[in-house]
Amino acid sequence: MIKRRHQAVGLSVLAFVLSVLLLPSGLYWAQARSVERVSILMPAPFADASKELVHAFNQQHRGEIHLETIRGPLETEAISDLAISSLLLGDAPFDALLMDVTWLPKYAAAGWLVPLDRWFTAADIDALASGAREGNRYNNSLYRWPFTADMGLLYWRTDLMEQPPKTPEDLVQISRALQEQKRVPWGYVWQGRQYEGLSCVFLEMIDGFGGFWMRPDKGEIGLDRPAGVKATTWLRNLITSGVSPQAVTNYAESEALQSFKMGDAAFMRNWPYAWAELQKPDSAVQGKVAVTTMVAEEGVSPTATLGSWGLALLQTSSHQEATAEAIRYLTSVDSQKKLYLGYGYTPTVQALFLDPELMDVNPILPDLLEALEHTKPRPQTPLYAQFSDVLQRDLNGVLTGNQSPSDGMAEATSTSKTILRSAGEVMP
Amino acid sequence: MTALLIPAALLLGLVFVVPMLRYVWLSGHADSVLTGLVAIPNQGANWVRLLNDARFWQDAAQTLRFAVVSVGLEILLALAIALLLDQRWRGRGAVRALTLIPWALPTTVMALGWRWIFNTPYGPLEQVSGLLGGPALNILSNPSISWLATVFGDVWKTTPFAALILLAGLQTIPSDLYEALKLEGASAATCFKRITLPLLQPYIALALLFRLAQAFGVFDLIQVMTGGGPAGSTESLALYAYLNAMRFLDFGYSATVMMGSFLLLISLCIICWICLQSLQRRLGRA
Repeated sequence: MIKRRHQAVGLSVLAFVLSVLLLPSGLYWAQARSVERVSILMPAPFADASKELVHAFNQQHRGEIHLETIRGPLETEAISDLAISSLLLGDAPFDALLMDVTWLPKYAAAGWLVPLDRWFTAADIDALASGAREGNRYNNSLYRWPFTADMGLLYWRTDLMEQPPKTPEDLVQISRALQEQKRVPWGYVWQGRQYEGLSCVFLEMIDGFGGFWMRPDKGEIGLDRPAGVKATTWLRNLITSGVSPQAVTNYAESEALQSFKMGDAAFMRNWPYAWAELQKPDSAVQGKVAVTTMVAEEGVSPTATLGSWGLALLQTSSHQEATAEAIRYLTSVDSQKKLYLGYGYTPTVQALFLDPELMDVNPILPDLLEALEHTKPRPQTPLYAQFSDVLQRDLNGVLTGNQSPSDGMAEATSTSKTILRSAGEVMP
Repeated sequence: MTALLIPAALLLGLVFVVPMLRYVWLSGHADSVLTGLVAIPNQGANWVRLLNDARFWQDAAQTLRFAVVSVGLEILLALAIALLLDQRWRGRGAVRALTLIPWALPTTVMALGWRWIFNTPYGPLEQVSGLLGGPALNILSNPSISWLATVFGDVWKTTPFAALILLAGLQTIPSDLYEALKLEGASAATCFKRITLPLLQPYIALALLFRLAQAFGVFDLIQVMTGGGPAGSTESLALYAYLNAMRFLDFGYSATVMMGSFLLLISLCIICWICLQSLQRRLGRA
């Protein structure tokens, strides 16, 4: 009798323990079935900056959608490699991707992206600043929605001059005068290393001299035409005349920023992120810096290379509606405002550039808007990486004195034409 | 008995033969972003392109130069280090362990370190040159000398590996050989020439071939330190193949570049082998 009671007690205790153990996992299981889990791959700084937005989104969509961001590598090329590796394997572990403007034609041509036209209307597009409308389409379909705008800028020192230069000649003249007065060791620092940043610098200069890099749709290459050779010669002369240090041919953004931040240069070409760095207490030029659009020859409209990151939806995602919802949320006016106030990410919506609350925080906002009106994308073709690579090699060869500007541009042109020709053989 | 070899053979097949065959197959196809990543046979067009690709041959010459110079330096240094570590002296154990540190550190981390050390104008090397009143060195922005900086990084990193192999070789040489020769009144130099070098020769060959194959496929050091620049002067074949695959999404041509560099490496190894054989015959006769 006692033995049986013991058994009964034992059984009920066991049942209780089991139910306590199983209940949460059962609940979790039930919930996991109904909640759509959406994940987005982003470079780590973007993922960190969107943390609060993601949290707010999950609060709003409790029980329906659970959004999470995957912190990818910091460098543009490293995250591209990561994304491409997972996409090649067929089933990427993320639904959307924060992508650089130059990747889009390649990814779209590879068939990895879903057009976003269903989710974004003409009114949405009209609300964007003109520069942010560029670089989101391929073959007339919308594949990417801009998350933050980015464009090349000319930083200048307000303590050394009254007005920024407008033309390439001005820039050189002001630099040389300041150098002769020993007020600054270098005139102008920029990105001359053999990498993507050099292509951005060059696009601004070749356009600024009234030329063009290439027109993929017409199969035209403009590198060896007079403006291309002029732009190349101008950049090379910056180095030979001592306006820029010889080491600039190995500078990326961080090296240029370092030099300018230490007060070693009068001008710097960089992206908007550099502004916040220059205002930090350890900066020698805190409060002595302004930005403008890159110099251009008299009568030529200046060009700012379009950077910008945007969100794209992947073909392999099984939660396309939910992902589109998340993309919409992360790029909403409210979210952009928060990202700007908290982390300095340049907005893409026109109205925000005139928002007094934002202007209070950062006085360069109108300059950014102006630069954004002059943005030009780099050549939009799935083969962009090849063309850019060819340009970087030959241009860096010119900058380091390995070949003359006209030889370098002639070689880059003929190699680019070979790539176009062999592409024509593959593409009907 | 042969049945016991099956697991190893399977593993080898899976890890080596299958990917190799896939590469051979891929090099006969156009498979790029332009074909929508679908492989289409292109009748050897990749190989014609490779033969006419000035960049491939320039990279091949650069890779060869890098491999030969860095491996040559490494073997010489490693021999000296191995001889030192083979002697009996206080603290030898600790020093033996310490010499392995460069080999144990991740290449990428060290490549970043070198990039900083060679940085102009903020790197320590430039600072020293400045203090001594020297000119700006601009090592990483001068296409004719940048490759030497990459050689330096590679020698620093992989000499311990070669030294380890040579040290193992030294320890297989019985000490009574030396005693016998010394009894005949031979000098240390003669001992080295008559005993050490001939008996160490197979180990030198081993270290040479290991390192040559590895240096010929160099990727991480170059990618991080120079990215192939300046002016493409430090680009290795592996970096070019990687660019074609991951940046340009041209897998057909990337496979062809890999196959091309594989063939070059095999011929290099065969040449090395023949040279070593004739060297050994000469040493044996001496």
